[in-house]
Amino acid sequence: MNSGWDGLREQLLATPMPAIALTLAAFFVGGWVFTRLGKPSWCPAILFAAMLLAAALVLLGIDYADYRAGAGWLMLLLGPATVALGVPLYQQLPRIRAVWKPLLISLPPAAMLAALYAVGLAWLLGASPEVLASLAPKSVTAPIAIGITEQLGGVIPLMMGGLLITGVVTTACVGLLARRLRLRDPRVLGFVLGVNGHVIGTVRAFELGPTAGAFASLGMSLTGIFSALFLPLAWRLVGL
Amino acid sequence: MSALRGFLWLVVFLLCGEALVWALTLPISPGVVGMLLMTLWLALRGRVGHDIQAASQPLIAVLAMLIMPGVVGIFFIADEFAGQWLAVATALLLGTLASVATTLWLMLRFMPPEAADE
Repeated sequence: MNSGWDGLREQLLATPMPAIALTLAAFFVGGWVFTRLGKPSWCPAILFAAMLLAAALVLLGIDYADYRAGAGWLMLLLGPATVALGVPLYQQLPRIRAVWKPLLISLPPAAMLAALYAVGLAWLLGASPEVLASLAPKSVTAPIAIGITEQLGGVIPLMMGGLLITGVVTTACVGLLARRLRLRDPRVLGFVLGVNGHVIGTVRAFELGPTAGAFASLGMSLTGIFSALFLPLAWRLVGL
Repeated sequence: MSALRGFLWLVVFLLCGEALVWALTLPISPGVVGMLLMTLWLALRGRVGHDIQAASQPLIAVLAMLIMPGVVGIFFIADEFAGQWLAVATALLLGTLASVATTLWLMLRFMPPEAADE
Protein backbone atom coordinates (compact mmCIF):
# COMPACT_ATOMS: atom_id res chain seq x y z
CA MET A 1 0.00 0.00 0.00
CA ASN A 2 2.63 2.43 1.12
CA SER A 3 5.03 1.50 -1.65
CA GLY A 4 2.21 2.07 -4.15
CA TRP A 5 1.85 5.65 -2.98
CA ASP A 6 5.59 6.14 -3.10
CA GLY A 7 5.59 4.86 -6.66
CA LEU A 8 2.89 7.35 -7.68
CA ARG A 9 4.70 10.18 -5.91
CA GLU A 10 7.91 9.39 -7.70
CA GLN A 11 6.10 9.13 -11.02
CA LEU A 12 4.48 12.56 -10.56
CA LEU A 13 7.61 14.27 -9.25
CA ALA A 14 9.58 13.09 -12.25
CA THR A 15 7.79 15.76 -14.32
CA PRO A 16 7.85 19.53 -13.73
CA MET A 17 4.03 19.55 -13.50
CA PRO A 18 3.67 19.25 -9.68
CA ALA A 19 6.05 22.19 -9.22
CA ILE A 20 4.06 24.26 -11.72
CA ALA A 21 0.72 23.26 -10.17
CA LEU A 22 1.94 24.11 -6.65
CA THR A 23 3.26 27.51 -7.73
CA LEU A 24 0.03 28.41 -9.55
CA ALA A 25 -2.10 27.17 -6.64
CA ALA A 26 -0.07 29.12 -4.07
CA PHE A 27 -0.30 32.22 -6.25
CA PHE A 28 -4.08 32.04 -6.51
CA VAL A 29 -4.67 31.14 -2.87
CA GLY A 30 -2.26 33.92 -1.84
CA GLY A 31 -4.21 36.35 -4.01
CA TRP A 32 -7.49 35.17 -2.50
CA VAL A 33 -6.20 35.66 1.07
CA PHE A 34 -4.89 39.09 0.07
CA THR A 35 -8.32 40.15 -1.26
CA ARG A 36 -10.05 38.64 1.79
CA LEU A 37 -7.88 40.80 4.08
CA GLY A 38 -8.98 43.89 2.16
CA LYS A 39 -5.78 44.28 0.06
CA PRO A 40 -3.54 45.57 2.87
CA SER A 41 -0.80 47.88 1.56
CA TRP A 42 1.63 46.65 4.24
CA CYS A 43 1.69 43.10 2.96
CA PRO A 44 1.58 42.27 -0.78
CA ALA A 45 -0.08 39.09 -2.05
CA ILE A 46 3.24 37.53 -3.00
CA LEU A 47 4.31 37.24 0.65
CA PHE A 48 1.26 35.10 1.48
CA ALA A 49 1.83 33.08 -1.69
CA ALA A 50 5.53 32.49 -0.97
CA MET A 51 4.84 31.39 2.61
CA LEU A 52 2.07 29.05 1.46
CA LEU A 53 4.33 27.58 -1.18
CA ALA A 54 7.17 27.02 1.30
CA ALA A 55 4.78 25.39 3.78
CA ALA A 56 3.36 23.14 1.04
CA LEU A 57 6.85 22.01 0.00
CA VAL A 58 7.74 21.15 3.60
CA LEU A 59 4.45 19.32 4.23
CA LEU A 60 4.73 17.29 1.03
CA GLY A 61 8.39 16.56 1.69
CA ILE A 62 9.50 17.92 -1.68
CA ASP A 63 13.14 18.89 -1.84
CA TYR A 64 13.63 22.55 -2.75
CA ALA A 65 16.22 21.72 -5.42
CA ASP A 66 13.76 19.32 -7.08
CA TYR A 67 10.97 21.88 -6.91
CA ARG A 68 13.24 24.55 -8.32
CA ALA A 69 14.22 22.36 -11.26
CA GLY A 70 10.55 21.85 -12.17
CA ALA A 71 9.43 25.43 -11.56
CA GLY A 72 12.28 26.66 -13.73
CA TRP A 73 9.90 26.14 -16.65
CA LEU A 74 7.64 28.80 -15.18
CA MET A 75 10.52 31.20 -14.58
CA LEU A 76 11.35 31.01 -18.29
CA LEU A 77 8.30 33.23 -18.82
CA LEU A 78 10.04 36.00 -16.89
CA GLY A 79 11.86 36.92 -20.12
CA PRO A 80 8.77 37.55 -22.30
CA ALA A 81 7.02 39.16 -19.29
CA THR A 82 9.84 41.69 -18.96
CA VAL A 83 9.56 42.45 -22.68
CA ALA A 84 5.80 42.94 -22.16
CA LEU A 85 6.56 45.86 -19.81
CA GLY A 86 7.57 47.77 -22.96
CA VAL A 87 3.84 48.19 -23.74
CA PRO A 88 2.83 50.32 -20.70
CA LEU A 89 6.16 52.11 -21.05
CA TYR A 90 5.28 53.09 -24.62
CA GLN A 91 1.73 54.11 -23.64
CA GLN A 92 3.05 56.51 -21.00
CA LEU A 93 5.93 57.78 -23.13
CA PRO A 94 4.61 61.38 -23.43
CA ARG A 95 4.31 61.72 -19.64
CA ILE A 96 7.73 60.18 -19.11
CA ARG A 97 9.31 62.40 -21.74
CA ALA A 98 7.91 65.48 -19.98
CA VAL A 99 9.89 64.68 -16.84
CA TRP A 100 12.93 62.79 -18.12
CA LYS A 101 15.35 65.23 -16.50
CA PRO A 102 14.22 64.85 -12.87
CA LEU A 103 14.02 61.09 -13.40
CA LEU A 104 17.59 60.89 -14.68
CA ILE A 105 18.88 63.13 -11.89
CA SER A 106 17.19 61.09 -9.17
CA LEU A 107 18.02 57.65 -10.47
CA PRO A 108 21.82 57.25 -9.98
CA PRO A 109 21.85 58.42 -6.32
CA ALA A 110 18.69 56.44 -5.56
CA ALA A 111 20.01 53.19 -7.06
CA MET A 112 23.45 53.63 -5.51
CA LEU A 113 22.06 54.37 -2.06
CA ALA A 114 19.61 51.43 -2.23
CA ALA A 115 22.64 49.12 -2.43
CA LEU A 116 24.88 51.18 -0.16
CA TYR A 117 22.47 51.38 2.80
CA ALA A 118 21.98 47.61 2.84
CA VAL A 119 25.62 46.67 2.29
CA GLY A 120 26.80 49.28 4.81
CA LEU A 121 24.41 48.14 7.53
CA ALA A 122 25.24 44.46 6.98
CA TRP A 123 28.96 45.24 6.99
CA LEU A 124 28.66 47.14 10.28
CA LEU A 125 26.91 44.12 11.81
CA GLY A 126 29.70 41.82 10.68
CA ALA A 127 28.24 40.03 7.66
CA SER A 128 30.63 37.96 5.51
CA PRO A 129 31.67 39.17 2.02
CA GLU A 130 29.50 36.41 0.56
CA VAL A 131 26.42 37.82 2.32
CA LEU A 132 27.33 41.40 1.35
CA ALA A 133 27.52 40.34 -2.31
CA SER A 134 24.09 38.71 -2.01
CA LEU A 135 22.52 41.85 -0.51
CA ALA A 136 23.97 44.40 -2.93
CA PRO A 137 21.54 43.81 -5.82
CA LYS A 138 18.48 43.67 -3.52
CA SER A 139 16.57 46.34 -5.45
CA VAL A 140 17.41 44.97 -8.89
CA THR A 141 14.91 42.97 -10.94
CA ALA A 142 15.50 39.20 -10.68
CA PRO A 143 17.07 38.30 -14.07
CA ILE A 144 19.63 41.12 -13.80
CA ALA A 145 20.23 40.54 -10.07
CA ILE A 146 21.14 36.89 -10.70
CA GLY A 147 23.88 37.98 -13.09
CA ILE A 148 25.19 40.62 -10.68
CA THR A 149 25.26 38.22 -7.71
CA GLU A 150 27.19 35.64 -9.71
CA GLN A 151 29.70 38.28 -10.71
CA LEU A 152 30.19 39.51 -7.13
CA GLY A 153 30.39 36.01 -5.67
CA GLY A 154 27.13 36.00 -3.71
CA VAL A 155 24.61 33.27 -2.95
CA ILE A 156 21.61 33.19 -5.30
CA PRO A 157 18.93 31.82 -2.90
CA LEU A 158 19.90 34.40 -0.27
CA MET A 159 19.79 37.17 -2.89
CA MET A 160 16.35 36.03 -4.11
CA GLY A 161 15.08 36.00 -0.52
CA GLY A 162 16.47 39.51 -0.14
CA LEU A 163 14.50 40.50 -3.24
CA LEU A 164 11.30 39.20 -1.67
CA ILE A 165 11.81 41.04 1.61
CA THR A 166 12.95 44.24 -0.13
CA GLY A 167 9.92 44.18 -2.39
CA VAL A 168 7.56 43.60 0.52
CA VAL A 169 9.15 46.29 2.71
CA THR A 170 9.18 48.77 -0.19
CA THR A 171 5.48 48.21 -0.81
CA ALA A 172 4.73 48.68 2.88
CA CYS A 173 6.92 51.80 3.27
CA VAL A 174 5.57 53.51 0.16
CA GLY A 175 2.02 52.82 1.28
CA LEU A 176 2.73 54.22 4.74
CA LEU A 177 4.66 57.30 3.59
CA ALA A 178 2.13 58.09 0.87
CA ARG A 179 -0.64 58.15 3.42
CA ARG A 180 1.40 60.17 5.95
CA LEU A 181 2.56 62.77 3.43
CA ARG A 182 -0.70 62.68 1.46
CA LEU A 183 1.05 61.87 -1.79
CA ARG A 184 -1.14 61.06 -4.78
CA ASP A 185 1.15 61.72 -7.74
CA PRO A 186 1.22 58.34 -9.53
CA ARG A 187 4.45 59.26 -11.29
CA VAL A 188 6.34 59.74 -8.01
CA LEU A 189 4.83 56.71 -6.25
CA GLY A 190 5.34 54.47 -9.28
CA PHE A 191 8.95 55.48 -9.79
CA VAL A 192 9.79 55.02 -6.10
CA LEU A 193 8.12 51.58 -6.11
CA GLY A 194 9.99 50.47 -9.23
CA VAL A 195 13.43 51.79 -8.23
CA ASN A 196 13.37 50.21 -4.76
CA GLY A 197 10.95 47.33 -5.04
CA HIS A 198 11.75 45.88 -8.53
CA VAL A 199 9.03 43.49 -9.80
CA ILE A 200 7.09 43.35 -6.52
CA GLY A 201 6.95 47.14 -6.34
CA THR A 202 5.97 47.29 -10.01
CA VAL A 203 3.09 44.87 -9.44
CA ARG A 204 1.89 47.11 -6.59
CA ALA A 205 2.23 50.18 -8.84
CA PHE A 206 -0.01 48.59 -11.49
CA GLU A 207 -2.62 48.17 -8.74
CA LEU A 208 -2.47 51.97 -8.29
CA GLY A 209 -3.04 52.53 -12.01
CA PRO A 210 -1.42 52.40 -15.46
CA THR A 211 0.62 55.60 -15.00
CA ALA A 212 2.17 54.42 -11.73
CA GLY A 213 2.79 51.05 -13.39
CA ALA A 214 4.63 52.56 -16.34
CA PHE A 215 6.78 54.77 -14.13
CA ALA A 216 7.55 51.74 -11.97
CA SER A 217 8.55 49.70 -15.04
CA LEU A 218 10.82 52.53 -16.08
CA GLY A 219 12.32 52.89 -12.59
CA MET A 220 12.84 49.14 -12.36
CA SER A 221 14.62 48.83 -15.69
CA LEU A 222 16.77 51.93 -15.18
CA THR A 223 17.82 50.68 -11.73
CA GLY A 224 18.63 47.30 -13.26
CA ILE A 225 20.74 48.78 -16.06
CA PHE A 226 22.52 51.23 -13.77
CA SER A 227 23.25 48.64 -11.05
CA ALA A 228 24.53 46.10 -13.56
CA LEU A 229 27.14 48.66 -14.62
CA PHE A 230 27.81 50.24 -11.24
CA LEU A 231 27.92 47.39 -8.70
CA PRO A 232 30.70 45.24 -10.24
CA LEU A 233 32.78 48.40 -10.67
CA ALA A 234 32.19 49.52 -7.07
CA TRP A 235 33.04 46.02 -5.85
CA ARG A 236 36.37 46.11 -7.64
CA LEU A 237 37.16 49.57 -6.27
CA VAL A 238 36.45 48.56 -2.67
CA GLY A 239 38.44 45.39 -3.26
CA LEU A 240 36.00 42.89 -1.86
CA MET B 1 -5.20 33.02 -30.86
CA SER B 2 -4.53 36.71 -30.62
CA ALA B 3 -2.67 36.32 -27.30
CA LEU B 4 -0.54 33.54 -28.76
CA ARG B 5 0.41 35.67 -31.77
CA GLY B 6 1.34 38.46 -29.37
CA PHE B 7 3.37 36.01 -27.32
CA LEU B 8 5.33 35.15 -30.43
CA TRP B 9 6.14 38.86 -30.82
CA LEU B 10 7.33 39.05 -27.22
CA VAL B 11 9.57 36.03 -27.68
CA VAL B 12 10.96 37.44 -30.94
CA PHE B 13 11.84 40.68 -29.16
CA LEU B 14 13.39 38.68 -26.32
CA LEU B 15 15.54 36.79 -28.85
CA CYS B 16 16.58 40.10 -30.44
CA GLY B 17 17.55 41.28 -26.95
CA GLU B 18 19.49 38.06 -26.43
CA ALA B 19 21.34 38.59 -29.72
CA LEU B 20 22.20 42.20 -28.86
CA VAL B 21 23.46 41.23 -25.40
CA TRP B 22 25.65 38.58 -26.99
CA ALA B 23 26.92 40.79 -29.81
CA LEU B 24 27.76 43.79 -27.64
CA THR B 25 28.59 41.76 -24.47
CA LEU B 26 26.18 43.94 -22.47
CA PRO B 27 25.99 43.30 -18.71
CA ILE B 28 22.17 43.66 -18.79
CA SER B 29 19.58 40.88 -19.07
CA PRO B 30 18.11 40.14 -22.52
CA GLY B 31 14.61 40.81 -21.15
CA VAL B 32 15.39 44.44 -20.36
CA VAL B 33 17.01 44.98 -23.77
CA GLY B 34 13.96 43.35 -25.36
CA MET B 35 11.68 45.65 -23.38
CA LEU B 36 13.54 48.74 -24.59
CA LEU B 37 13.44 47.42 -28.19
CA MET B 38 9.69 46.84 -27.80
CA THR B 39 9.16 50.41 -26.55
CA LEU B 40 11.22 51.78 -29.42
CA TRP B 41 9.38 49.71 -32.01
CA LEU B 42 5.97 50.72 -30.66
CA ALA B 43 7.05 54.37 -30.66
CA LEU B 44 8.11 54.08 -34.30
CA ARG B 45 4.84 52.37 -35.20
CA GLY B 46 2.78 54.79 -33.17
CA ARG B 47 0.29 52.28 -31.74
CA VAL B 48 0.00 49.00 -29.83
CA GLY B 49 -1.46 46.20 -31.90
CA HIS B 50 -4.27 44.06 -30.53
CA ASP B 51 -2.11 40.92 -30.43
CA ILE B 52 0.68 42.41 -28.36
CA GLN B 53 -1.82 43.98 -25.99
CA ALA B 54 -3.57 40.64 -25.51
CA ALA B 55 -0.32 38.85 -24.69
CA SER B 56 1.34 41.46 -22.51
CA GLN B 57 -1.54 42.26 -20.16
CA PRO B 58 -1.90 38.77 -18.63
CA LEU B 59 1.88 38.31 -18.43
CA ILE B 60 2.30 41.57 -16.52
CA ALA B 61 -0.48 40.48 -14.17
CA VAL B 62 1.41 37.32 -13.17
CA LEU B 63 4.85 38.94 -12.98
CA ALA B 64 5.02 38.35 -9.21
CA MET B 65 4.22 34.66 -9.64
CA LEU B 66 7.12 34.20 -12.03
CA ILE B 67 9.73 35.05 -9.38
CA MET B 68 8.11 32.89 -6.68
CA PRO B 69 10.11 29.71 -7.42
CA GLY B 70 13.28 31.69 -6.77
CA VAL B 71 12.23 33.68 -3.73
CA VAL B 72 10.87 30.76 -1.68
CA GLY B 73 14.47 29.52 -1.54
CA ILE B 74 14.99 31.86 1.42
CA PHE B 75 12.92 29.53 3.63
CA PHE B 76 15.27 26.62 2.91
CA ILE B 77 18.71 28.12 3.54
CA ALA B 78 18.17 29.22 7.14
CA ASP B 79 20.90 26.94 8.55
CA GLU B 80 23.57 28.01 6.11
CA PHE B 81 23.74 31.57 7.35
CA ALA B 82 23.10 31.04 11.04
CA GLY B 83 24.59 33.92 13.01
CA GLN B 84 24.23 36.41 10.15
CA TRP B 85 20.48 36.72 10.12
CA LEU B 86 20.46 39.82 12.31
CA ALA B 87 22.77 41.57 9.84
CA VAL B 88 20.69 40.41 6.88
CA ALA B 89 17.36 41.39 8.43
CA THR B 90 18.59 44.80 9.60
CA ALA B 91 20.16 45.53 6.22
CA LEU B 92 16.99 44.59 4.36
CA LEU B 93 14.49 46.30 6.67
CA LEU B 94 16.30 49.50 7.63
CA GLY B 95 18.20 49.71 4.34
CA THR B 96 14.99 49.53 2.34
CA LEU B 97 13.23 52.01 4.61
CA ALA B 98 16.11 54.46 4.16
CA SER B 99 16.32 54.00 0.40
CA VAL B 100 12.56 54.44 -0.08
CA ALA B 101 12.69 57.66 1.95
CA THR B 102 15.69 58.91 -0.04
CA THR B 103 14.15 58.17 -3.43
CA LEU B 104 10.90 59.79 -2.36
CA TRP B 105 12.75 62.88 -1.18
CA LEU B 106 14.75 63.09 -4.44
CA MET B 107 11.59 62.74 -6.52
CA LEU B 108 9.70 65.39 -4.56
CA ARG B 109 12.70 67.68 -4.78
CA PHE B 110 13.16 67.46 -8.56
CA MET B 111 9.75 66.48 -9.94
CA PRO B 112 7.63 69.34 -11.30
CA PRO B 113 3.95 69.32 -10.29
CA GLU B 114 1.65 67.17 -12.41
CA ALA B 115 -0.77 69.84 -13.62
CA ALA B 116 1.74 71.29 -16.11
CA ASP B 117 1.37 68.57 -18.74
CA GLU B 118 -2.33 67.86 -18.59
